[in-house]
Amino acid sequence: MAGGASAADVRSILSLPASSTPGPSQSKKSATSTKKPEGISRELYSLIGASAPTLAAQVAKPRLKQKPNLGGGGKVKWQWRNFKNGARTDGLELGHWVKAHTDPDAEYPFAKYNVKGTEYTYSQDDYTRLLEDPAWSKEETDYLFSLVQEFDSRFYIVADRYEYPGGTERSMEDLKDRYYSVCRKLIRNRPWAGDEASKSQLISSFQFDKDREVTRKKYLSSLEDRTPEQLAEEEALYVELKRLEQTERRFKKERDELLRTLAGVDSGLPDLPFDEDGPLGDPKKRKNGRLAELESPATPSSATFAAPPPRRAQSARSIAYDALHLISRTDPPPASASTTKASHQAATLRSFKIAYPKSAVAAKVTQVVAELGVSLNRLVVPSRDTLAQHEALLEAASALVETKKVVDRVDQDIRVARARLGLRESEGAETPMEVDGEGGGSAPAVLPEESRAQSVVSTRSARSRKPTGASRRSGSVSSVDASVTSTTRAGTKRQKLS
Amino acid sequence: MVQYGGDEVSALVIDIGASTLRAGYAGDDAPKAIIPTTYGFIPQSTGADVTMADAGPEGETEPPKAESTLYIGQHGPSVWRADMQIGNPVVDGMINDFKPIPSLITHALRDVMRCNPEEHPVLLTEPAWNSVANRERMAEIMFEEFNVPAFYIANTGVLNAFAAGKGSALVIDIGNSTASVTPVVDGFVLRKGLVYSALPQLVQAHAKHTLVMPSHNHPQIQLLPHQLISNKTPVEPGQAPRFTIREDRLARTSPSLMTYYESREVDEWGQSVAGVLDQGWNDQAAAARHARHYEFPTGFNTLFGPERYQVGELFFTHSRELAASNPHLPRTIPTLISQALAACDPDMRQVLMGNVVLSGGGSLFAGLAERLNNELSRNFPHVKIHAPGNPVERRYGGWLGGSILASLGTFHQLWISKEEWNEHGKAIVGQRCK
Repeated sequence: MAGGASAADVRSILSLPASSTPGPSQSKKSATSTKKPEGISRELYSLIGASAPTLAAQVAKPRLKQKPNLGGGGKVKWQWRNFKNGARTDGLELGHWVKAHTDPDAEYPFAKYNVKGTEYTYSQDDYTRLLEDPAWSKEETDYLFSLVQEFDSRFYIVADRYEYPGGTERSMEDLKDRYYSVCRKLIRNRPWAGDEASKSQLISSFQFDKDREVTRKKYLSSLEDRTPEQLAEEEALYVELKRLEQTERRFKKERDELLRTLAGVDSGLPDLPFDEDGPLGDPKKRKNGRLAELESPATPSSATFAAPPPRRAQSARSIAYDALHLISRTDPPPASASTTKASHQAATLRSFKIAYPKSAVAAKVTQVVAELGVSLNRLVVPSRDTLAQHEALLEAASALVETKKVVDRVDQDIRVARARLGLRESEGAETPMEVDGEGGGSAPAVLPEESRAQSVVSTRSARSRKPTGASRRSGSVSSVDASVTSTTRAGTKRQKLS
Repeated sequence: MVQYGGDEVSALVIDIGASTLRAGYAGDDAPKAIIPTTYGFIPQSTGADVTMADAGPEGETEPPKAESTLYIGQHGPSVWRADMQIGNPVVDGMINDFKPIPSLITHALRDVMRCNPEEHPVLLTEPAWNSVANRERMAEIMFEEFNVPAFYIANTGVLNAFAAGKGSALVIDIGNSTASVTPVVDGFVLRKGLVYSALPQLVQAHAKHTLVMPSHNHPQIQLLPHQLISNKTPVEPGQAPRFTIREDRLARTSPSLMTYYESREVDEWGQSVAGVLDQGWNDQAAAARHARHYEFPTGFNTLFGPERYQVGELFFTHSRELAASNPHLPRTIPTLISQALAACDPDMRQVLMGNVVLSGGGSLFAGLAERLNNELSRNFPHVKIHAPGNPVERRYGGWLGGSILASLGTFHQLWISKEEWNEHGKAIVGQRCK
């Protein structure tokens, strides 16, 4: 501001008439004369001048958060004051700066940190009565106690500074042993103000096993004295051990996995890999009986929770009515059963519960039943008895289909094994050397899954090669294989229709 | 105030080392006055024959007489004066000659810091191997000559540990004349584990030998200081220098001053050029490093290659020829450390190796901290070295620890007061300063 002269200044110097628009210096003067309204910045006000619009009234000064009041805000008066330290025995007065309002007679705040450990003392009488030790004179014991007191039981320092004139060389363990044993004896033989527990606790805090300490230190130093070669060997051994452990763990895991896959529940291993409740689980893993059981679940109850029908109260007439209209009543779920939505079973028509063969084998089952001259599509009166019969029929049919499958597979396996045997016999005749080597070892070493897959493939190929070789029934069953998907689709459609 | 544990009573801290004397207020982070411990003096009976008589052995052969003027401080020994001789009261870290000590302290306190020692408690430092007579003499000087209200003398090893914020530490202090390894436990020195050697002097002697002896790389180098050169012209690297010597001054330069100047030049060279390889000596590694350029006051300048690393190698290993030629070589740093540890309790070794504190101006030698770290971690499983990166903290670690100690509220009960001094006499020093 000080440097540049404005146009107005130049005009006034040259005594020219003032221009119609006032320069910044003039406007500044006017700004100082008329009070700048609050809420407008100085720069803005100098631009728009005194003709500040009513806007100014609307622009409120931004409200900022109030500054926190830290420690009174006022000036703190400090004073150089001499003080005496309570931890000192002499009258030394040192000076320091303190706040003027503090109490000049107060105890020096750091004096309280001058704490001394409990001092154990003994008289000549005590010594002769309790503390005699052939290895230690009373004077040397006194010296030891004075050092321990001086260095606040820091035995590293005590052992470092221990220089008893004419005494033998004492290790830190010697010193500790002597000091602690003397303290134990003193505590044990002194009148004790507190209870027995605290006394024994104090005694146990002075427990010191010298031999153990010496052995420990020896072990420590032997650890430190290992040569780099020994260290490297130890390291290598450790790594090798870890590696072996890991390999063993992995091997065990893989073996368990295999056992589970092969033997299932019979393996006796927990965490079977398949879901037992899955209705579409691998049929191989499921017993036929269980299949049927799953296919025909227990008849759901028609009872509702709102009005559980008391079975005993049923009159003869209502029984007759039920028989006439093919209504069966089931027991309400036991009270202990959870009352969640899942446990609730609504009243249903029985036709709703007609069992259908499992989709995987549906086509074959339908075919088998059709061969018996029974149509699964039309269950005219789905009474309780017919339904039971129907279920039994389906069960038997699917069991038959399953059995047939197994028989086929076993047949095929036998064929393949025979073929292989023949091949090997001819091979063995030609190159007997290879039997002992890879040729003989590879075939039995194939994993069970692989061989199974192989056999399945070979079954299919064998079937396709000579379809006439099979019996009529089995042929009809296997020929359906190709149209499985379409039949299944038809089956589902049928289910919807019914 | 209480929660930080600090309570400043405006104490003074004075740390007398071989190269410099440090003084300042307790609670500060750096000393206020740093003056050379070396001083100059002109013997009163100035005569050509006397000067020639003590020309052979230099240094303290001619102690300053009480009436002779001492030249102390920044304008002391470094300013050329006719017939001025050089003295240093510190030998092997210990004060050997107490005559100039009051003058040195007076200069630091009154002339540099402008304070009155009668108003302040004074904390002094001492090496861990200081003698009882020495510390009592020191207390006597402070109480009788400076009339201080209170006095304490603390160990540099302990103070270095405190400066690093540790109560227990293995302090490796490499100074100008002495390298020491001090095990500190709970603020006390384990005296049995304390070891020190004059290793820095050997390194300096070797550096001087390297420079003065002509080699394939450079001719004999004249270590003349600026003070003795009137003019010079720039020359190409490796070429003979062209300069004019101040013959008038040279004639009246005492041998001790000349030695001092030469050692200053060697120090300078060492600080700017010399170093140590971080992974042990290896001819290829040394050759692979860049050569460094250095110009001496005479104007001679050249590049220094592998020989600059040979100098630092002496801190860690002595070559076989050297060891064979001199059976009393100062022990190397690894030797010092292993000796110190061997004297300590097996329980303490782990603690000490986890708290290694590197301190002293000599430890600022280029690459020394890295090399030390490599050497130690090769031999000990868990090593942690505390080496302050700030050169002031590294050089004046002892002073800094004293500054911390003397500003602690709990420390003020330990001062030896004037009253106690008058009552108990010298014995109080040994009782109080353990």
